[in-house]
Amino acid sequence: MPPKRKAAPASSGASKAGRTSAMSTPGPATPRSLDSSMMSDAEDDLNDPEVTEVQRQREQELGQEADEFVNGWDLAKSHLQTRPEGWSGDAATAYFGGRRDFSFLPLKPDHPNRPIWIDPNKGVIVLERFNPLSEQATDFLITVAEPKSRPTFLHEYALTTHSLYAAVSVGLDPKDIINTLDRFSKTPLPATIRKFINKCTHSYGKVKLVLQNNKYFVESVDAEMLETLLKDPIIGPLRVHSSEGITTSYAPTMGGLVIPGTKNAAGIRQAELDKASGKPVAPGAEAGNEADLYATLNDEDDDDDKTAVHSFEINDNAVEIVQKRCLELGYPILEEYDFRNDDVNANLEIDLRPNTQIRPYQEKSLSKMFGNGRAKSGIIVLPCGAGKTLVGITAACTIKKGIIVLCTSSMSVVQWRQEFLKWSNVNPDDVAIFTAESKNKFSGNTGVIVTTYSMVTNNRERSHESKKMMDFLKGREWGLMLLDEVHVVPAEVFRRVISSIKSHSKLGLTATLLREDDKISHLNFLIGPKLYEANWMELSQQGHIAKVQCAEVWCPMPTEFYDEYLRANSRMKRTLYAMNPRKFQACQYLINYHESRGDKIIVFSDELYSLKQYALKLNKVYIYGGTGQAERMQVLENFQHNPDVNTLFLSKIGDTSLDLPEATVLIQISSHFGSRRQEAQRLGRILRAKRRNDEGFNAFFYSLVSKDTQEMYYSSKRQAFLVDQGYAFKVITQLANIEKTPDLAFATAKERRELLQRTLVDNEKGGEDDVETDDLFGKPGGGRGRKKGGFGGGGVRRTAGTLGELSGGHDMAYIEQNKAANKTLKKKAKEVGQNAFFKKIAREKERNRK
Amino acid sequence: MPRAVRGVLITCEPAIKSIIVHLDSENHDIIIEDLDETHLFVKENMIQVLKAKLEEHLKETYRPEEPLQDSDKEY
Repeated sequence: MPPKRKAAPASSGASKAGRTSAMSTPGPATPRSLDSSMMSDAEDDLNDPEVTEVQRQREQELGQEADEFVNGWDLAKSHLQTRPEGWSGDAATAYFGGRRDFSFLPLKPDHPNRPIWIDPNKGVIVLERFNPLSEQATDFLITVAEPKSRPTFLHEYALTTHSLYAAVSVGLDPKDIINTLDRFSKTPLPATIRKFINKCTHSYGKVKLVLQNNKYFVESVDAEMLETLLKDPIIGPLRVHSSEGITTSYAPTMGGLVIPGTKNAAGIRQAELDKASGKPVAPGAEAGNEADLYATLNDEDDDDDKTAVHSFEINDNAVEIVQKRCLELGYPILEEYDFRNDDVNANLEIDLRPNTQIRPYQEKSLSKMFGNGRAKSGIIVLPCGAGKTLVGITAACTIKKGIIVLCTSSMSVVQWRQEFLKWSNVNPDDVAIFTAESKNKFSGNTGVIVTTYSMVTNNRERSHESKKMMDFLKGREWGLMLLDEVHVVPAEVFRRVISSIKSHSKLGLTATLLREDDKISHLNFLIGPKLYEANWMELSQQGHIAKVQCAEVWCPMPTEFYDEYLRANSRMKRTLYAMNPRKFQACQYLINYHESRGDKIIVFSDELYSLKQYALKLNKVYIYGGTGQAERMQVLENFQHNPDVNTLFLSKIGDTSLDLPEATVLIQISSHFGSRRQEAQRLGRILRAKRRNDEGFNAFFYSLVSKDTQEMYYSSKRQAFLVDQGYAFKVITQLANIEKTPDLAFATAKERRELLQRTLVDNEKGGEDDVETDDLFGKPGGGRGRKKGGFGGGGVRRTAGTLGELSGGHDMAYIEQNKAANKTLKKKAKEVGQNAFFKKIAREKERNRK
Repeated sequence: MPRAVRGVLITCEPAIKSIIVHLDSENHDIIIEDLDETHLFVKENMIQVLKAKLEEHLKETYRPEEPLQDSDKEY
């Protein structure tokens, strides 16, 4: 049977939604490298120029090794062909060519009742969503395979080594995986897949590295495997000799562990308390009586409560060597943390507030993490606005040890702290912040520290206090390391973080586990496997995130702009397609339309020049990298509460971690090349819309694209991720009645020409420095200190000209200076800001002074 | 003495016309007469060359049909 492929795009319009060729499907964990000069994510990388040469070299070596290793695990490269010799195909399938002709796979007699088909060569699984069995199949596939593309009717999953690794780590047996796949499959399970599963599960997850009582143990169910390791010339001598060879104990199970906030939590809390007061019980003994609870919590886990586990101890400083050596031997080590039996590190008094209920999908993701009663390291992928923070906090409340949280900006540091206080009953003094401004320590002997990646990885001269703080961080052992927005951080930074801060388990959180370079797969080795990935469509159907209508609006370029576009260099090209007057009109039209419906609108533009031009012309408020802190706050507040301010223009500083639940419409006028991540992150700004549960509510996402320019190409690239999540982009080529818009900007050819001239002249000087911090709230003082270029800041200029020009005899005309809407806000705030009561006080003061 | 040149009338979108004009501006060997926004009169013998150049130019604008990963080139 030939592989199911979506029909070739019938028209150029349909191509947006229907395009799912193998290349355009970005498997979150297997991205391909794109043209790095155009697509680089460099601006997000927290690269630090001051890293010493030696360190960099070492990192490079490590990176290369990891690269080789990662590539070695690619299924597609192993050339698994199962075509029987002499098979010639039949008349109909001959056209598919040799590689894609799978007609040799016999269909089972009852194949219409079975929902999946497996590609024997690449491990791609195609699932029929309309099949009655699809629910069960989805549940199973989520555990063993990686979701690649999930539109409405056909889902694609891929069996990868990482996904199988994750499956094994939650306790699935390879035999069960094979049997279940075979049961759901329309064809008998291809031998290649069987072989692949066996191969991966054989070596993966069998060896674990466990930090217990502050000692590292290499642990395995299979005693023989440990013997092999011990005989290895490198690992053998690293064993701590005081310990008597291989010790045997019982495997821990989920036992009495309950993730707080789940339904079982309330009933169990009492039992937990008793346990906490008593001595730690041997996990094997308690497994029996709690087995029923355990089964309800984790149904895919087979009851293997009494499995014997063998282990030997290794030295602290030998951990990395052992890890590397095991990798070479083909037995990657899995890290687990038995936090319930850790009595060396102090317990932290932290619990979710009693009224906190976590959502089913959050519970599911956490049960993957605490699958066998120990904390596994890994990555959880949830869409923006689906409560990633709460997942992190719940994990913290489960582990109850020292917690370190790493985020991308100082603003999210503050947000994380607030969330901790909001959702848990932790003592406010125990949640400390480590940023450039504040360096507190917690009061007790353990607590929560929130900091940024750059604070921890900074190698430059530190102030005395932060150096002291770093030593404190390095000197301790942490129970859990929470890594927020884990996708933005390059592998090198992680290596630095992980090597300097000792933590028992790591949890990465992200919405978009993809990068345009192929560094994502490294995360699987540095942090852990992807534990869970939510289905966006399902969450929006359940009302956890807003339903979004996506549209791509095509704006033709007027001839004069297009002529100029063809001549311009690449930078100017970008400015020109952003400044396309038709696009401007479309933007104006959409703003008018949605404002009249009572929507709150965010307009995104990566191009600073066009951002300001649009905002000034339309008289709307805007925020960009150079906007001062106070002004930002004021603008944001007004956007949230002032009924007169319904539209906000944002540069790319607003892409991430900006929480504006009021916004319901998003318009994108220019963007960062083909970055799929930016598109998804921007969409995330409206997913948390407050009104999402209103009847028939829809959020809108418009992407304005100039026709016949490179933007078209980038745009289709950008959408790939969202299309795979099940979003469909409608293409709008003509906005109805756009020419009837009152005060339509640039309606006449003359105005358009003026705009073109102005754009060219203003940008000739090289434009403003486009450098932006990723942080919406900037660094202290950074915003105001920035040089103001372009218009507004210009000094006196001396030009030669004729008197006629000055008198208006030439083609010169006076134009109305557009005033920034930000300023009017400020003025208003001053006027309105004073209550009558305070005015009275002020008057009295005045009088007293006299 | 009047000279006659064989030509072809092209009707296209303004954007395509812009591209053709842009291509012509290198050595002015394509266009005979620029008629209006959507019409051009070009030399007949240059048609094939023009088509190829245009194709080349449009590649950067539109997403080219990506070859399937498992295409049968090797066979």
